[in-house]
Amino acid sequence: MTSEAGVKPGKRALPLLSVLAGLAVVAFLLSLATGPSGFGFSLRGEAGAIIFKEIRLPRAILGALVGGALGLSGAALQGYLRNPLAEPSLVGVSGGAALGAVLAIHLGLAAAFAFALPLGGLAGAAVAMLAVVALAGVHGGPVTLILAGLAVSAIATALISLALNLSQNPFAAVEMVLWMMGSLTDRSLTQVWLAAPLILLGMALLLGVGRALDALTLGEDAAASLGIDLARTRLAVVGGTALSVGAATAVTGIIGFVGLLVPHLLRPFAGHRPGLLLPASMLGGATMLLLADVALRLIQPWVELRIGVLTALIGAPFFVWLVLKTRAELAP
Amino acid sequence: MTGPSRIVSLDLCTDQLLVELVDRARIAAVTHLAADPTVSAIPEKARGLAITRGAAEDVLGYDPDLILAGPFGVAASVDLLRRLGRRVVIVPLPQDLGGMRTAVRTVAAAAGVEQQGEAMIADFDRRLASLAASSAQPLPTAVIYQIGGSVSGPGSLADAALAAAGYRNMAGDYRLTRGGQVPLELLLADPPDLIVLSTGADEYRTALADNLRHPALHLLRQRRASIELPWRHWLCGTPHIVEAVERLAEARADIGARGR
Repeated sequence: MTSEAGVKPGKRALPLLSVLAGLAVVAFLLSLATGPSGFGFSLRGEAGAIIFKEIRLPRAILGALVGGALGLSGAALQGYLRNPLAEPSLVGVSGGAALGAVLAIHLGLAAAFAFALPLGGLAGAAVAMLAVVALAGVHGGPVTLILAGLAVSAIATALISLALNLSQNPFAAVEMVLWMMGSLTDRSLTQVWLAAPLILLGMALLLGVGRALDALTLGEDAAASLGIDLARTRLAVVGGTALSVGAATAVTGIIGFVGLLVPHLLRPFAGHRPGLLLPASMLGGATMLLLADVALRLIQPWVELRIGVLTALIGAPFFVWLVLKTRAELAP
Repeated sequence: MTGPSRIVSLDLCTDQLLVELVDRARIAAVTHLAADPTVSAIPEKARGLAITRGAAEDVLGYDPDLILAGPFGVAASVDLLRRLGRRVVIVPLPQDLGGMRTAVRTVAAAAGVEQQGEAMIADFDRRLASLAASSAQPLPTAVIYQIGGSVSGPGSLADAALAAAGYRNMAGDYRLTRGGQVPLELLLADPPDLIVLSTGADEYRTALADNLRHPALHLLRQRRASIELPWRHWLCGTPHIVEAVERLAEARADIGARGR
């Protein structure tokens, strides 16, 4: 990816981010207005107030935060690894996060100390992220990275089913689906309070690497000569992804492909500048997940879908297209 | 003594009937769930019995002359045991109180203790008949709200217990998901007179129980009558379901006190 010459950063950034922020706000309001008891904001009486505050609001906030975390970390991973296929769920970070959360719940840590849940997700995501980087190497090609991600995901999935089986939980099979397919249904403000601080901290770390990612498009040596601290950048990308995706996955389960799809869709508008793509993908990710969640509730009377299924249905064909495109580029 | 003398049970529900109907000396093994107070109505009585995990090889180790099984989960083992010439009786999961009586009779007949079976049913019927009939018209409504947002619908024992206690099960009024769950939002928008929280399952460490800890549910419980009805009372079709009916019937007074 090369930076597009002749485009003034500020010129493109403001209109793009304003439009995306506007879309995210609209999606957020749509999410608040959608629910099985009726569309709109004029729900009757005391019950309506509870529905708004305790059911729809946490769902919309989590949709925005989790979608933002996924989009942003996808853009950061693609920019940092200079790899178009990088994405939290494909490189195993989401799987690691789910494993950490499952362990926190099933070892009883989350019951004893509520913050153990997002911290478990964070720890699992960090371990998975470090494992993938160690396996594939920072300079590994797209294929190596995907293989490493596949291996880490497979281990995480196996350990999740092991933990659920050992827990003697009669719902192990159902709970497996919950973790693999993700869900925003009936989340509470409690879960928002648990996850939001860590997600926001991770987002702040990731947004901070924009300049470094821009410089990295010129190569590591050039970036270093521009005063970019590469070790710190790596720490911020790994830590920011682990924090935001780890805490997000701990309360929703694995939601795939948002982090892949959104940066690719927005890259042309961001002038192929990874630094600008970061906030753009955060806003775009939030919009995409909120709209997917609205669509989910609208089609729910006919088919029961989980949000992770919906994002995979949209994202997986795109992934296939990307693989074909990457193959064509790699071909001699 | 006539009848089988080395009985193995492979299902929580047949475990419970067996333990209450048959002399302990004739029970070779039951499942580990029989002594689990979360799901079993008779954990103390089952304590100390040998435990089988249900695999055919394990079962054969007890050299059983009668094997009791439920309809789920053990089909392969049951096939194998039958081919090896063992006597297996499968007791269907009852869908109503009549089915429960049938299950009792099936186990009693297989074990050769028909008299004990009839006595057990007579005792159940006596307790059921002693409950005051509901005079309220229309019937108060109730929903049995479970782990994961599932509600008990028609054709379930819990539904039968509601009917016997003088309630109309409101589960059918909601637009349920295919999996039989009611979104919490709908429960709040259109609540029943009595919210029956099926607890017990939430004692397992599982993310699926988050719905039972949801603040919106606590707010709803401040505004409506609710009771917690532990899983062990109605999970299985045994006469212990009368305890669930009794608790539900008692809760009618609470609804009356709150006004409807």
